[in-house]
Amino acid sequence: MIFFLVFISSGFYIITNIEKVTSSLDGLILLHQVEIIRERLLVELKRTQLDLQLRNTQHARSGDTIVTHVKALSDLVNVCFECHHTAQVTARLDSLQTSIDAYKNALSRVFTMRANKQRLVSEQENAFEISSEIVAEVININDLTTKKLRSSTTAALDDTRNMKVFLYTILITAPVSALVLSLLFLRWFTRPVSVLVHAIRQLRSGDLSYRIDGLHDEYIEVADSFNTMAVSLKEHYDRMQWAEQVVILGELAGGLAHEIKNPLAGVKASMEILSTDPAVSEENKDVLTKAAEQVKRMEALIKSFMNFARPPAPQLADTNIHAVLESTLALAQRHPLFGKSRVGRITVVKNFDDQLPSILADPAQMQQVFLNLLLNAADEMPDGGTITITTQFESEMECLTIRIRDTGKGVDDGLREKIFQPFFTTKAKGTGLGLSISKRLVEQQGGGIRIENHNGNGVSFIIAFPLFTRTEVPVP
Amino acid sequence: MPKIVTAFLLALLVAALSGCSRTDQERAHGQKPTDLSQPRHSLRIGLIPEQNIFNQMERYEPLAQYLSKKLGVDIQFTILLRYGNIIDNFVADGLDGAFFGSFTYALAHEKIKVRVVVRPEYPDGHSTYYGMIIVRKDSGIRTVKDMRGKRFVFVDKATTAGYLLPYAYFKSHAIDHHTYLRESYFAGTHENVVMDVLDRKADIGAIKNTVFALLAAKNKRIAQELMMLERSPDVPENALAFRKDLDPKLVQDIRTALLRMHEDIEGAELIKAFGAKRFIETTDNDYLPVYRYARQAGIKLSSYDYLND
Repeated sequence: MIFFLVFISSGFYIITNIEKVTSSLDGLILLHQVEIIRERLLVELKRTQLDLQLRNTQHARSGDTIVTHVKALSDLVNVCFECHHTAQVTARLDSLQTSIDAYKNALSRVFTMRANKQRLVSEQENAFEISSEIVAEVININDLTTKKLRSSTTAALDDTRNMKVFLYTILITAPVSALVLSLLFLRWFTRPVSVLVHAIRQLRSGDLSYRIDGLHDEYIEVADSFNTMAVSLKEHYDRMQWAEQVVILGELAGGLAHEIKNPLAGVKASMEILSTDPAVSEENKDVLTKAAEQVKRMEALIKSFMNFARPPAPQLADTNIHAVLESTLALAQRHPLFGKSRVGRITVVKNFDDQLPSILADPAQMQQVFLNLLLNAADEMPDGGTITITTQFESEMECLTIRIRDTGKGVDDGLREKIFQPFFTTKAKGTGLGLSISKRLVEQQGGGIRIENHNGNGVSFIIAFPLFTRTEVPVP
Repeated sequence: MPKIVTAFLLALLVAALSGCSRTDQERAHGQKPTDLSQPRHSLRIGLIPEQNIFNQMERYEPLAQYLSKKLGVDIQFTILLRYGNIIDNFVADGLDGAFFGSFTYALAHEKIKVRVVVRPEYPDGHSTYYGMIIVRKDSGIRTVKDMRGKRFVFVDKATTAGYLLPYAYFKSHAIDHHTYLRESYFAGTHENVVMDVLDRKADIGAIKNTVFALLAAKNKRIAQELMMLERSPDVPENALAFRKDLDPKLVQDIRTALLRMHEDIEGAELIKAFGAKRFIETTDNDYLPVYRYARQAGIKLSSYDYLND
């Protein structure tokens, strides 16, 4: 736009100046023509004076010749009147015209009169006197014209010089300006591309947290798409990293559990045998019994490890989620965390969607997931509280969700991402495997699980299952 | 090759010089450049200095252009510095025709048998003029007696108004103006006469009434300060006449063109600018008053010396 305006302004200025210079040159040409006319006027005047002088000599001119000379004189004066003049110049030309008319009369008298010598000499002198006055006037006008011509020439030359300087300036500055403006334009035009290229390089170098900022206009949409893609990549990357971590941990735990499981079985059997030996005192029997319980606990832990490492393949079947929830709830309520010995009572609220369809899922694994979440919720509310179970069918999304909410103290936002990681726990006696196993079980059935924090008023675990047909069920 | 070119150029030079030489000789001996009995495609027509010679040429020039275009003949007017020159120029310079004053025509007809064709008729219907003897009102000159010792300005010896009238006037009073007057001279044009009397360069003048009226319309002083003492009979206005041996068909064509000039738009405009209403047919009989007036003055046209003193 700026370049266009500069171009238009320069063009307008150049055209205006060319017109001005041309007008000045026209004026100069006109003044030169005027000068030539005045010079010719002088020549014609001198010629008529010569006609006068040659009168009564053998070289006397004919009447026609004299008339022709005077007519040329008159025509030249008339040419002067054809141009536009100021009132002052017009007055001078009028005066000149009057003098020419008087001169014509005087000439006519000289050439036609026959009288005594004195009278003829008087007439001739009169004609000469008039012609001399006209010559003086024409010379005077010529001087004025010459002065004006000189000043006009100077002005025209100044205009031309200024024009030349301007053109040279334009000649030098225009390409430089055009280059600078082009570079600026190019930079402005390519900057978004450079930003995008830089962002892509950042992604390629592994910086998935890099985001594009500061683009405008239509590039905002490109930047948003890029940022969305980067977020998606980060999520996938995290997920892959998590899966890889899980696989490694699973293999590690599986191997370890397998190696520990048999010796532990031997230890446990030995302790049970010893505890039945009559030679062992009662005091020692208690010790052995407690040791055997610890071994059982270790076996349970190992079983969890093995579940986590090599979860059993889901046995998918048409599953009524509400039935699974009801049976799980009944089971959970017999757990000590729901027991009457607690200080605070746990209230369970069920908001079940009547339209909830059955889905393809493994009822046993789902029961394991629900039981884990319910026991976690109860554990989070040592002083009692409410567990709200909500199911909902979202027909538009073609999925169903199960929300289990507690009214505990909630989870810090910084821990939300870590809560599904294996061995991460906020409990004093937790293994840190419950939620990670639940997540794995849900995901291998094609579902998903996430946590919502209610700002110190508990959390919600939301499980979502798509409505797969049997053939669409993802292979775990 | 150079010799051929040189010979060609020499031949051209000789031809050119011989051509120039022949023309000069013809002019020197007053010979006619062509056979005047044969039809020509150019005509030279003389103009008498009735008024300022430059104004006179300007007034008649459009007529030449009109006729040239109308007839396909190159017609050129030539101004003459004296009335009597017309007669001389018919002989010396081979004029084909001229707008003659009435007395000039009478002389030319008598001496070289020119044939009059047309003359202008003015918007007020007149086609004649008369001569006037004029003086300043404050000059005190009222009779011929008052003219003794005064300065008299004539127009030309070949004019009716500018010379024949005062000549007849003095003749009628049995006065020889050469001795009766202190000074007499020929101003050459009627306009000069009027202006000389008005400006007191002369005491008495003789002019034609049409020029007096023309000048009086431009200069109020003329009517206010000048008065007429005597007038001549009416005589025909300046008329166009041709030499006797000019192609009769060409003469007829020119006469027809001028007589019908007022009938076409261009011609009507030109004739209006000329100051006339139309051209009317004119014959030698129209000049009977001139012949009679000359006879009364005792002038014998065939031997009259029209050259000014």
